[in-house]
Parts: sequence; C-alpha cells; structure tokens
Amino acid sequence: MTGPGRLFAGLAAVVCLAAGVSASGPRPAAAQASTQPAGGADGGGGDVVARGTVVFRAAGCMSCHTDSKNLGRPLAGGRPLITPFGTFYTPNITPDRDTGIGNWSVADLSRSLHEGLSPAGSHYYPAFPYTSYTGMTDQDVGDLWAFLMAQPPVIQANRPHELSLPFRFRASLGVWKGLFFSAGRFAPDPGRDAAWNRGAYLVQVMGHCGECHTPRGALGGLDGDKRLAGTAKGPDGKKVPNITPHPQDGIGKWTESDISYFLKTGIFPDGDAAGGAMVEVIEDGTSFLDDSDRSAIARYLLDLPPIAGP
Amino acid sequence: MNKFSLAVTAGLLAAAVSPVFAADEPLNVIKYRQNVMKAVGGHTGAIAAVVKGEVSFVGDVEAHARGINAMSMQLGHLFPKGTDNGAFKETRALPAIWEDMGKFDAAVKGLQAESAKMIEVAQGGDVAAIGAQLQNLGTACGACHKPFRAEAQ
Repeated sequence: MTGPGRLFAGLAAVVCLAAGVSASGPRPAAAQASTQPAGGADGGGGDVVARGTVVFRAAGCMSCHTDSKNLGRPLAGGRPLITPFGTFYTPNITPDRDTGIGNWSVADLSRSLHEGLSPAGSHYYPAFPYTSYTGMTDQDVGDLWAFLMAQPPVIQANRPHELSLPFRFRASLGVWKGLFFSAGRFAPDPGRDAAWNRGAYLVQVMGHCGECHTPRGALGGLDGDKRLAGTAKGPDGKKVPNITPHPQDGIGKWTESDISYFLKTGIFPDGDAAGGAMVEVIEDGTSFLDDSDRSAIARYLLDLPPIAGP
Repeated sequence: MNKFSLAVTAGLLAAAVSPVFAADEPLNVIKYRQNVMKAVGGHTGAIAAVVKGEVSFVGDVEAHARGINAMSMQLGHLFPKGTDNGAFKETRALPAIWEDMGKFDAAVKGLQAESAKMIEVAQGGDVAAIGAQLQNLGTACGACHKPFRAEAQ
C-alpha cells in the first residue's frame, strides 16, 4: 500500500484537520469504547464490528495510520510517507472527536473512501488510496465505520504535511482526479464464480495491491496496460515485483497454496522470508484474513493475463 | 591436561571464536554468508512444504529446525564491518546493520530463540502447531530482512 499515489494521502490528513476538526467536546466519541483493537466484543454491535475487523485487515489501514517506528499509538496517524512531492503525515483515524474522526458519520467515511473528499468537501491527496477504495461495497464501509468507532480514541493532533510548493495547492487535485480517478463500486463479473470475484475485490479494491505493484506515469496515474506487472520505481524508489502469472518475470511458477501461504507468513516458496514493505502488508493485514480469502486472492492473481517486466 | 595441550586448546578456541581476526576477504565472507542464508531458506522451505500439506514428512521437521538453529548461531560473526551493499554490490546487507548493532543482535537472538522453539514443537509432531511456530519463525526472519536487507534488484 505504499505508492506514489500515497504521496498524496498525507495531505488528506491536513484536509481533515483544516476541515473536520472544528469539533466540540473534548471527550472520546465512541459510545462504548471497547478497548479490544480487534474482534467483536459482543453487546449488540458485535457482529458488525467483527465483520468490520475483516474489512479493516483486508484494506490494510493499520500500517499507514500507525507510526509504529516511533511507537505511535494504533491508528493515531503521524507516520511519515516520504515522496517526491514532499512528506505526508498520515492522519489520526481513532474516534477522538477533536483530533480523530470521532465526529464522522458513516456518510462521511463513505465520501472519503468512495470519492476522496473530506467531510467539508476538500480533495484528499491520492496517497490515501481512494482510487482503489472507491470500489468498496456500502456494507463494508458501514462495517468498517463500526469497527473504527469501537477502537480506543487517541488524542493526537494531525501533523501538517511538508510538501514542496506546487503540491501544496489542493485545488489542483481536482484536475488530477479528473484525469486519473473514476468513482464507482466494484462490479462482479457474472461469468466468474464467487471465489474469483472475491479475489478480484480483495486485490483491486480492498488490498489496493495495484497502488504499489502497478507502474505509474509521470503524473502519478496508474498504467492500465501494465496492471500488477511491477515497477522499478515504486515507493521510496524501490523495486516492486511483478505479481502477474508471467512465468519468468512474475509469479507464474507459484501455486495457489504458495501465494496463500506467503500472504499468511511472508515465507516464499523457496524458503526465503519477505523483507521490505510487504512485511507490514502481511503482518498488519493479510495474515489476519481467513484461508478462503487468501486463496481467493491467489486464484484471482493466477488468472490474470501474464505481463513481462518490469 | 598438560600445558602444551592447554595452549593448543586455547589457540584453537581463539581461532574458532574470533574469525574476525582471520581477516577473510569481504567478498568471500559475503559468498559464505549467502550460502548459509540459502541453507536456512532451504530448511524453511522444507518445513513450509510439510505445513502446506504438500508432503507428509513431519518426522523430518525437527532436523530442519536444528539446521536453522545451528545456522542462526553463526550469524553473529557473519557480518564483519565492510561487508555491506555500499561497499559491495554483490550483497543486499544494508549499512543500517552496523548503525544499529543492538537491534541487529536482538533480531539474531530472536531467530535463535524461535528456531530453538521450533525444535521443541517439531518433537510433538503436530502439523498445526508446527505451522503456528513457522509463522513465528518467519516473523523472526522478517525482523532482520525488513530493516536490514535491500530489495532484490
């Protein structure tokens, strides 16, 4: 989930700050502040929160919104995302009313994920991958909202982004969105079975795999002809591997269980263990999913057109 | 033990304990280190095949765990200064290792502990338990690979 696109996300935080944080009372929002970070503590909303946990893990919210390197509190933001455009600091998404998203309604969350807009209507930088999340089902957004509101609120003000001059102007994001962003829910392919469609949804929308694994053009838009074919210049200028089933360049020699097992443990088919950005994707995200979801991802990836490169 | 054999023993011990003094060629150390890492990967991949149910050789897991544990004991002396990827493009070892030796040592100890635990778990012969421990072992590998290893090029 690190991507040039991500660069922009940080600004989103600023937007939140500027916009949503007029706020009132100093106390936490969540009605019943469950201290369990995950799982469905019962009592009415249990099921919803449990479903929201799955959404939360599949969407990989944790890694970017937690400054784990500096022992930051979960989801309180502040993690720097260093990009060619400057440094973004991710926003606090705990339910604190003043510094987090405690005042957000489900509709507010939906607008941010589906349209890349803050509650006040400002554009978010696409470092926040709404370009993928726009496909989320309304059910999943509602469940995610319930999960987030059940987390412990943390009082931590968002840190303003440090962007180089031309990128400080959020208005230009409207133009960028006009070029590279099309809002719309995921449309299942009726010609495929449920597992394939689940895999497609997890890869394209929730997992937002393409934000890192698909190469980008000069203006930061994804190259649609090379979906998931990897890039030599990913986040932090690092190489990101090709995950299409190309036999030499991609994962064409992996089996479904190889992929599924890798997403659970970070262990490659040859016994090597992952390093790099994928570690947090696995440790904060895919390792928490059900085997059936990991298999669905594998199934979908192996069914993609093989593409050479990068 | 007489004085002579004492001296010989001490000499041998010193040789065994302080390979740094041998001043091996950095490139040779890098090559050696990579072979050790491949051995660890080979054993890990073998255990993973059992966990995934691809093969039924549960009885072999303990030996693989012992292999990983034995290799993990070498790691402390396989990273002499000057064998980073700034000095040699043949390696992916980042200079960050030598900038934060405390963290590096802790990560090595983590692998030693998790592989020792794997030996114990393997003796129980329960594939599910082995799978759970392999996940911990993989996390221990990642604790070094993430901060201290460059992406493959």
